[in-house]
Amino acid sequence: MEAACTLVSCTISETFIQSRKYVRRYKEKMPGKIKVLLSKLGLDVHSRGIITVAKGLSNAGMEVVYIGNALPKEIISSAIQEGVDVVGVSSLGGAHLTLGIPLIEEAKEKGFKDNVAFLMGGVFPPADTLRLKDIGFDGIFTPGTTSNEIVSSIHELVSIKAGRSNS
Amino acid sequence: MNKKEKTTKEILHEKSSGRKRVPLYNSEALTRIQRQFEQWMHSTVREKDRENWMKTPRTVLGSDIPRAMLYTPLSNPDFDYQEDLGNSGQKPFARGIHANMYRGREFTMRQLTGFGSPEDTNERIRFMLDHGATGLNILFDIPTIQMYDSDDPLSQGQVGMSGVCVDSVEDMGLIFKDIPLDEVTISIVTHYPSNTAILFPMFLVLAEERGIPWDKLRGSVQNDVTLEELIRSGPEYMPPKDCFRIQCDNIEFIRKNVPQWNFITLNGYNLREFGTSGVTEMAVAVANGIETIDEMVSRGHDVDTIADRLAFFWSPASDFFEEIARLRAVRRLWYKIMKHRFNAKNPRSMWMRCHVQTSGVSLIQQEPLNNIIRSAYHALAAVFGGVQSLHVDSYDEAYSVPTEEAALLSLRTQQIIQEETGITDVVDPLGGSFFVEALTDDIEKRILDEVDEIERGGGYVAAIESGKLHKKIATYFSNQQRDIEDGEIKVVAYNAYKSDAETPAINVFRYPEGVEKRQREKLERLRMNRNNEKVNKALAGLKEACTKRRNILPYSVECARARCTEGELFKVFKEAYGLWKPPALW
Repeated sequence: MEAACTLVSCTISETFIQSRKYVRRYKEKMPGKIKVLLSKLGLDVHSRGIITVAKGLSNAGMEVVYIGNALPKEIISSAIQEGVDVVGVSSLGGAHLTLGIPLIEEAKEKGFKDNVAFLMGGVFPPADTLRLKDIGFDGIFTPGTTSNEIVSSIHELVSIKAGRSNS
Repeated sequence: MNKKEKTTKEILHEKSSGRKRVPLYNSEALTRIQRQFEQWMHSTVREKDRENWMKTPRTVLGSDIPRAMLYTPLSNPDFDYQEDLGNSGQKPFARGIHANMYRGREFTMRQLTGFGSPEDTNERIRFMLDHGATGLNILFDIPTIQMYDSDDPLSQGQVGMSGVCVDSVEDMGLIFKDIPLDEVTISIVTHYPSNTAILFPMFLVLAEERGIPWDKLRGSVQNDVTLEELIRSGPEYMPPKDCFRIQCDNIEFIRKNVPQWNFITLNGYNLREFGTSGVTEMAVAVANGIETIDEMVSRGHDVDTIADRLAFFWSPASDFFEEIARLRAVRRLWYKIMKHRFNAKNPRSMWMRCHVQTSGVSLIQQEPLNNIIRSAYHALAAVFGGVQSLHVDSYDEAYSVPTEEAALLSLRTQQIIQEETGITDVVDPLGGSFFVEALTDDIEKRILDEVDEIERGGGYVAAIESGKLHKKIATYFSNQQRDIEDGEIKVVAYNAYKSDAETPAINVFRYPEGVEKRQREKLERLRMNRNNEKVNKALAGLKEACTKRRNILPYSVECARARCTEGELFKVFKEAYGLWKPPALW
């Protein structure tokens, strides 16, 4: 399988791919593995958090596709193409609502919302955490969240979603 | 190897090896101290402390430099006052670039300002000036930093957030409405070389239209290749070589036409906040400085006409003495580099002048009021370190852009240091401390070693192209994250002394609404009312300058005059230079 070089075992130098969309395009999901698409929301310049999360998730055995900066439509179409279980976006520049709302709307429109977990990480006012949940984000992660917390929350969400789609 | 046959480290070693040193401590005294020290070590010091004599502090963004339990003259036995320290305002400038330091000129209180529309930002600027701010520091929104117009589909939902939006010279005029451009010093946080080449000309054209000669303007731009190529996250990147050339074009043009303006801020800050140690932060900025001066010299400029306007930008974080020692160390190192590698003649060229902003990454969401204390210590270290200008982060920045109340508190932190603590009355008050001097020496060596590594790899631009620095940073911040999660690096109220009590609610800043819509309307009017023939001609001129590798600044000034928008200029850059694919960071 082409996906033999999964991120789990890759060192940084091995993942040094000369493509901006350094996505390994697995059309098929590896059996038993949770597949996550990560993106920076919009033009946001702060990427340390999402890179840390990407590493944390792949260290935890997940398959991670990081597409860099993207807008809602692009994120959802990549997520559909990749057939992921989880979509995680990062926003530290204030656009968590103005781009977060269109993201969820786009997912719903494409019928992609119910079986996939949507996560948002970044810096936002406390009241917005509730807003983001109301909109339809399944998990909100603010600074201080550990990699383990994100990993276990993903496991939980994915099994809930899987239960829902089987029932 | 870089243009020089020898690395900077080799040159400095050669220069220092032949010099006669005059140690401060006489050998008789040292022998006696040594004897006493050994006795003390075995009679008075507990065994456990002897075994753990060296301890490495683990701190957020720290450099992991081991510390002894006690420092004595033996820590630095051949300490030569004149050679290693000197008086303030004298070589090697370890104690400060001015003889009288803050007695002569207080540090500039330069708080970052920028959010929403140009009108909103103008209001906040005037609030800060009314409360005693002595300089301005203008921050742009993300689309402006990334060089997209407010009506670009990619800007949707982000206009006016975490900075102020600027599309054309008209917006520049609104930001600085009723602000006397020739009376306040203005730092324009342009970030990248490419957007400096777009936004600073807009500022110049604004001055021109207000009848203010360019030689009356004082302030700085960031104009830093590090931010564009090493730290940035974005959809499109320019090739590092072209980016570096634009950085030097900006310098060349500003030096000639805006003589009091600081044309580059060699940026360590954003790199460190992204995730590096304090040592790497400084090594990278120094390496960029060296390569930049080399390039300017090869363009035919005299070292002294370039170096006296270089400024640095640092991030003081939590390891208090490391931060103080770092500032002293890099000031001495920069002096040596300018003196011995570049043979500068003017003392001003040998000054490491700097602005600092307290570390934002060190602030956390849990119990946010604790951040006030953190930032105050960062600021105190900066002042002990002898900085020229200061921004103190606000306690609510782990949530959003600061509220007016929090921004005022940051300004008050600076004013309390200056007016109430008395620490600005004495120059370099920690000079001569056995510990601080030993640490300063150690850090200077470490910075120089990392500069050497970059030079041996072919220089700074080559280090960016190869992805080596990207990797180094990614490794550092993942390790830091792991160590914080494991509790090895302690953060109060986060992984140490955690409280079950709910965090009290704080007021959080809300972005003004309707900014994007108003900007779109403004742009529509601008495109309708301007002379589009003139616009196209200006853009064509810029494109030709880019492809023919001429200095692009005169052409981008023409574009600003013609009311070209930022996005239109960026489009020209992309067409002329193509795009670079940065290395993946994980």
